[in-house]
Amino acid sequence: MVEQIVVAPLVIALGAAVASLLTRRWGGLQRAVSLAGGVAYLGAVALLFQRVATDGTLTYQVGKWTAPYGISLVADPLAMFMLALAAVVSLAALAFSVLYVDDDEQRLSYHALYHMMVLGVTGSFLTGDLFNLFVWFEVMLMASYVLVVFYGRAEHTRAALQYVVLNLVGSALMLVAIGGLYGVTGTLNMAQMSERLATTPAGVAALPALGLTAVLFAVFALKAGLVPFQWWVPATYSAAPAPVSAMLAAVVKKVGVYAIIRLYFTVFSGLEIPGGLALPGLSGTGLLGFYGPVLFLMAAASIVLGGVAAVAHDDLDQVLAYSSIGQVGFIVLPLAVAATVPAGTIATVPGLAEPISLRALGLTAALVYALNHAVAKGGLFLATGAVDSMTGTTDLRRLGGLTGAVPTLSAGVFVGGLGLIGIPPLSGFFAKFLVFDTAARAATASGPLGLGGPELALATALLGATLTIAYVTRLWNRGFWGATGDAVERLSPATGQVAVALVLIAGVLVIGLAFDPVFDAAVDAAQAALDSEGYIDAVDPQAEVSGE
Amino acid sequence: MIQWLLAVVLGTMFALGTFLVLRRDVVRVVWGVAIIGQAANVYLVTMGGLVGEAPLIARGDHGEVAYTDPLVQALVLTAIVIGFGTTAFALVLTYRVYEENGTIDTHELGGEGPW
Repeated sequence: MVEQIVVAPLVIALGAAVASLLTRRWGGLQRAVSLAGGVAYLGAVALLFQRVATDGTLTYQVGKWTAPYGISLVADPLAMFMLALAAVVSLAALAFSVLYVDDDEQRLSYHALYHMMVLGVTGSFLTGDLFNLFVWFEVMLMASYVLVVFYGRAEHTRAALQYVVLNLVGSALMLVAIGGLYGVTGTLNMAQMSERLATTPAGVAALPALGLTAVLFAVFALKAGLVPFQWWVPATYSAAPAPVSAMLAAVVKKVGVYAIIRLYFTVFSGLEIPGGLALPGLSGTGLLGFYGPVLFLMAAASIVLGGVAAVAHDDLDQVLAYSSIGQVGFIVLPLAVAATVPAGTIATVPGLAEPISLRALGLTAALVYALNHAVAKGGLFLATGAVDSMTGTTDLRRLGGLTGAVPTLSAGVFVGGLGLIGIPPLSGFFAKFLVFDTAARAATASGPLGLGGPELALATALLGATLTIAYVTRLWNRGFWGATGDAVERLSPATGQVAVALVLIAGVLVIGLAFDPVFDAAVDAAQAALDSEGYIDAVDPQAEVSGE
Repeated sequence: MIQWLLAVVLGTMFALGTFLVLRRDVVRVVWGVAIIGQAANVYLVTMGGLVGEAPLIARGDHGEVAYTDPLVQALVLTAIVIGFGTTAFALVLTYRVYEENGTIDTHELGGEGPW
């Protein structure tokens, strides 16, 4: 189905960026226009979500150049799940920005940059063309560079320099990997590339293709902030304004996760390496068999390092930033299990009419965890911003006793923290439960309990869950309970900011209480991610040129 | 022949870029990033094959001659524009880092914590 509505979120985000540049002489009008743009974006995404849910995958061929010659935009359930997550968080963060950032600074360029970043994120989710993905990444990164350095003082410029240089090297690597994949497969259209990689006997040179996907993988791991590419995360999140940190942690990181799911599970997954790779820990000849152990090592290291570092730090921003590293590890862990289990393993899930593959269950767990992390961590970053506005600091040693001073915000942080830990009935419970469930089912499927991959994944998840409890408890005890800190004594209220943060955090409770539709959407998205043939059919790349 | 030459040039460019990125002076780091970006562009052009004729198709001339792939050149144009913008931004940022911190030595700028 070819539909114009697929471009609606892109057009609205771009229109909002332009409109907020045009109205920058009139601060009030600019904020109104920008907010209206955010609401319209959410509306467009909701409309598109509805259409995709009823009609299935929609595609749009830009300029009516048919695939594989033109740029394809593909709105499938996976892209829509991520877009919905982005739209909800970006509207909340935008509303928070209006109250949080100084009026003069907002007029400068904040709103235009913000919408450009949302545009880059939207394009990355919707595109069906590998080079176009690079371009959307750059759109997103360019805006995020400026937003990170927005305050422009010593520590901000320092952090931004690190962030910019790192991402420029990442972009060059991405270009090399994309160029190489074009050289090997002869196409940039993801659907056609998927088709060619899956052809056996290999229509393409399998080993070079595998190596190039590994280079590309490093770039996505960098964007997602996985160990060993995590070290830009804490400084960057501390430097950026709070709503931008919320967007970076909740949405921009998820673009890296989305790219890993889309490219490695949909597009590259059909690649078979003749004879397999003779490396320890690798089994099978498929591409996912190679990425399973890689994903597992990165996820396990992220969970442990992020968790331990979050316990060790005394600044709210830093604790949340390290927690993000650990939580992305939790998102990737079920992906590692999903990549390792044999494709045919079936899982019967209560509440679903038909059994789904265990691989799909792993992807579902990753997606639900991504949603939970986006809402909970986004809300907590906004709450941190509100604390900063009220007290002038985010240092836990100078806070303390916030429960007495601002009980509403404290309640929000408490719920958000419990969401990260995973207490029922919050969304975090289902997210963690699905991660454990996937690993446990994989362990059962692989035979008697031993020291195999699934058992290690279970142990890592358990350790990570314990660390999460530790740092959330510590953050709560130091910042919110106990004796009133010196910064809390001179408190200036920021009711509006608190309200916006609470609305986003309430999402954790709402998703948890109404989990059925969310779970169904996540299962649909996971199955769409694994359905390479469905993806190819939807884009329908015509290899032959029709006669003149 | 041209492939060998380009392979050597590419290797040199990537090596030089990596060397500069690892320097202490931030301006050199930005130079290094710019060179790595350009090396990626040259690499992209070589992925077009460079074995056939220039991709100029005359009227009534269908597929008898092998043409060099013109798509990569269009891609490189896009990549050059993006690289130009980001390099300009990185240079401005370097100046701002100097203004705010009084140094562009990465050791003096310091890191953030043990990780």
